[in-house]
Amino acid sequence: MKAKPHILNFFRCTFTGKAGVSLFLLLAVVALSAFTYYQDTVPTGAFQLVYPANFGNRVNTPADNVTTKQGVYLGRLLFYETRLSANNTLSCSSCHQQQKAFTDGRALSPGVDKVLSTRNSMSLVNLLWARKFFWDGRAASLEEQAAMPLSNPHEMGQSLNVSAQKLNGIKSYTQLFRLVYGDTLVTGDRIVKAIAQFERTLISANSPYDRYLKGTYRPIPQELKGMALFNQAPQPEKGIRGANCAHCHGGAKNYMELFHNNGLDSIPKDAGIETITGLVQDRGRFKVPTLRNIALTGPYMHDGRFKTLDEVVDHYSNHIRQSASLSSFLQGESNEPGGRSLKLLPAEKKELIAFLNMLTDSTFINNPQFADPRLSALNK
Amino acid sequence: MKKITLVIVAVFLSLASLSGKAQTPKQATIKITGEVTTPLTITEADLQTYKQTTVIRKDRDGKDHTYAGVMLSDLLLKAGTTLGPDLKGENLTKYLLVSASDGYEVVFALAELDKAYTDRAIILANQVDGKPLLPADGPFRIIVQDEKRPARCIKQVVSLKIAFAK
Ligand code: HEC
Ligand code: HEC
Repeated sequence: MKAKPHILNFFRCTFTGKAGVSLFLLLAVVALSAFTYYQDTVPTGAFQLVYPANFGNRVNTPADNVTTKQGVYLGRLLFYETRLSANNTLSCSSCHQQQKAFTDGRALSPGVDKVLSTRNSMSLVNLLWARKFFWDGRAASLEEQAAMPLSNPHEMGQSLNVSAQKLNGIKSYTQLFRLVYGDTLVTGDRIVKAIAQFERTLISANSPYDRYLKGTYRPIPQELKGMALFNQAPQPEKGIRGANCAHCHGGAKNYMELFHNNGLDSIPKDAGIETITGLVQDRGRFKVPTLRNIALTGPYMHDGRFKTLDEVVDHYSNHIRQSASLSSFLQGESNEPGGRSLKLLPAEKKELIAFLNMLTDSTFINNPQFADPRLSALNK
Repeated sequence: MKKITLVIVAVFLSLASLSGKAQTPKQATIKITGEVTTPLTITEADLQTYKQTTVIRKDRDGKDHTYAGVMLSDLLLKAGTTLGPDLKGENLTKYLLVSASDGYEVVFALAELDKAYTDRAIILANQVDGKPLLPADGPFRIIVQDEKRPARCIKQVVSLKIAFAK
């Protein structure tokens, strides 16, 4: 991050003389080689994926792409590599930025052709446990998933073959491919495998909520009340107030891999999974996204329609839209007898949001292992 | 000239039949796969060809409902699952993984489904109180007789997979 202004200052002071120009060029070359050889020795061997026991071991790693240190190293470079896009301007990180828990802060994201994506960029976290990817679950592995943004004309817009050709001409890359795959050949398949390896290391397990589950964080009363609302179903006839979010968003990982219609529209513009299955039951049905780091990943929902968590909670509290495909877990869920939305009190909404803020893992978004390797090299 | 009109008519007819097809809504099905001899795809019409049965149990509303459908074991036997006399030895380490269209999954040990082991009925229902299940619950739902919690009465079932515990 610091290096860029340095280069700019240098540029301004020295660009006047000829000597200045060559000095600038020399420095530029040094900076560029720092880009490619940012670390002298590449770590090798099996990569230990470390996570808490309560996350469980139902992980999803294909037998033909086991995670290695050298594979993750390469994958991280590729995740931040703009040469994988048609005009060398976009990388995965353009739409998946670490500081925003690997989202981009936009409702919809522009691709290489400036055309906007049809859906909101998704947070990349704890993907090791995921089995279905995208808002409609259409990809079955991270390897399969990565090929799609790379070649989609409205995202990175470059075929895997062209990407492989471009990298085949770069020695620092071909050497890394040899270290990871045994020979210097760069292929599309090897590119997506390495990216997938890096993505599997994006583990977040140190939010205040994680620490609460470990017994090392004591929530304030407002957070505790929010947690209770989050976890319990409303039962107005018994005087129990609740929001029942955990039915779809519960568990230690704050993610359960379910697909539901959460009542955003009666007649959805984007039919979601129905587009794939052709079944009316799937109309407006989308992936129940992770709530981990949710305070950092707005705007919210598949189309980015809500800017704030207040708007999200208002939706569940007051604006559930009825339809035949509305999830049965949201039908008639209310704190008022006969109500069709939760009908939370203003103080309860604040409590719920206090709990959602407990899901922010600042170690995750600041972990240098996940950052752009070229920038950390320049910072050395 | 005649030929041309014929071709045009033929094209129109085929187009009409195509668009006609697109208009009938697609039907949900259930796939039976895994450790079976004959993988099956079951439609609601297929269900009618099996022996019908009913189970009465409470739903989340706390009230008794009558669910109609077929014994899960009948469907699995048809697909060639090791139930009945074959349910012994290593086959007792087999389980059934039921998946719903929302991604929810539950497991039953094969022995839980076998009449030789239990009288408790586990059925694949397509009707409740004489009517088709609601779209958000159906068209197929597993109903487990007498089980206290309804969590394994999984809704919108799309797949039944038999596997060995490894
Ligand atoms: C132009 C913006 C853009 C770029 C570039 C981009 N993505 Fe995405 N990403 C998205 C959007 C939008 C979605 C959701 C799309 C959908 O569901 O249809 C998404 C979804 C994903 C998901 C699914 C997450 C989940 O929980 O299901 C993964 C994984 C992912 N992207 C990884 C990558 C990788 C790896 C790259 C680089 C090869 C990349 N993305 C490049 C915008 C982008
Ligand atoms: C029936 C399952 C279900 C329940 C219950 C539920 N949600 Fe959701 N939630 C979803 C689905 C599905 C989406 C994505 C919908 C879409 O974009 O079309 C979602 C999206 C969200 C998002 C936006 C996530 C993002 O990355 O854009 C937030 C925040 C959220 N829910 C919070 C809550 C809270 C708080 C509650 C309890 C009041 C709750 N949810 C209850 C299914 C559910």
